[in-house]
Amino acid sequence: MRRTRLEVGCWCGAWVVSFPGVLKLLLPALFPSWRFFDVIGPSPRVEICLLEHPGDDRTGWRALRSRPLRLGVFDRLRAFFWNARWNETLHLANCAERFVQGQTEHCTREIRRRVRSDLRAAGDGAVPAPFFCFRLVFVSRHEGMIRRDVAFVSPPFETFDPLDS
Amino acid sequence: MSLETAIRLTEILLSIALIQQSLEHLSGLRDEIPHYLCRLGLSVLLLAGVQTQWVSLLLFVNALLLLRRFQGPYNGGSDLLSILLITALAAVHFVPEGRWQEYVLGYLGLQVVFSYFKSGWSKVIHRDWRTGQALVDVFEFSVYPASEATRRWASRPRLLCAAGWAVILLELLFPLALLSPAALTIFLVLAMSFHVANFVLFGFNRFVWVWAASYPSLIWLEARLDLLG
Repeated sequence: MRRTRLEVGCWCGAWVVSFPGVLKLLLPALFPSWRFFDVIGPSPRVEICLLEHPGDDRTGWRALRSRPLRLGVFDRLRAFFWNARWNETLHLANCAERFVQGQTEHCTREIRRRVRSDLRAAGDGAVPAPFFCFRLVFVSRHEGMIRRDVAFVSPPFETFDPLDS
Repeated sequence: MSLETAIRLTEILLSIALIQQSLEHLSGLRDEIPHYLCRLGLSVLLLAGVQTQWVSLLLFVNALLLLRRFQGPYNGGSDLLSILLITALAAVHFVPEGRWQEYVLGYLGLQVVFSYFKSGWSKVIHRDWRTGQALVDVFEFSVYPASEATRRWASRPRLLCAAGWAVILLELLFPLALLSPAALTIFLVLAMSFHVANFVLFGFNRFVWVWAASYPSLIWLEARLDLLG
């Protein structure tokens, strides 16, 4: 039995190594750097602009998700067990950071699909505008002042796209 | 705490953490839901103690598929520790019983100690953390404060400087938790309070669940090392 278990373990190890790219993703979890909040770098925001036509001027940018003014005791208690939306907001910020580090294709897709999902939810299933674009804004402190830098502006996307939602 | 008890407690606490995470994802995008439905089912089996050996292995495969789906962890540190815990549990069931299982659980316990110590070290070497500016920036413009009201803490730099040093000292001194059961109890209470505070201020609920799941390995490691005899 012991030998069988070891064999299964070795087989799993070999499978992991042969899985394209997965070892590169797994290693940081097995040997984590554990550097939480070491440097407070530029902080990402995802902003969106709704468009009637793809060529419209991109004005009227707004935050994709605004945080609540305050949270009551009940809100916090519920969030302890169910905080899906906030965790997704943190995931979007993580995607924005990974985007500027070069993971552009995956992160653009991830943000685009979640923006679509938000827009559909806001319109109760009907889309509020046929097109949208998003931009990534980074907020940082520079020489004592808070500054905002636009790092990326996406091309227009269709708000409803069943093949990419 | 015996090795078997530590492993079982880790399974129970980890499965609760994974159930909590999985339920949150059921409102997510279409292609992530099947992964989390699988994780939910496997976590329930793990919690019930059904075929834990194979369930742990399947959870490991599920973790790999999720890493590929999100091209990394979905939610930073809490996901990293989840993956580490899942991997350790899968490994502990497939290495020879006895010493090798102790190595696996010991590695997990040491990583939990490092998670605090290295986090404290990476803060104390930066001037902004020593002066308190870093924590002011976290509250003033970072993405983390869970509400606008929380941002107001940025206007209390002295308090934040003191809080920053309290966090740094807790994290740097955390390895002392391995000295005795009393020290471990004190550090675990302080560390859990720290995670709860992070949840209240920044909404990091997943950290509380996952770090709690790692504590049995630490309790076992302290007893196993028995540094002060």
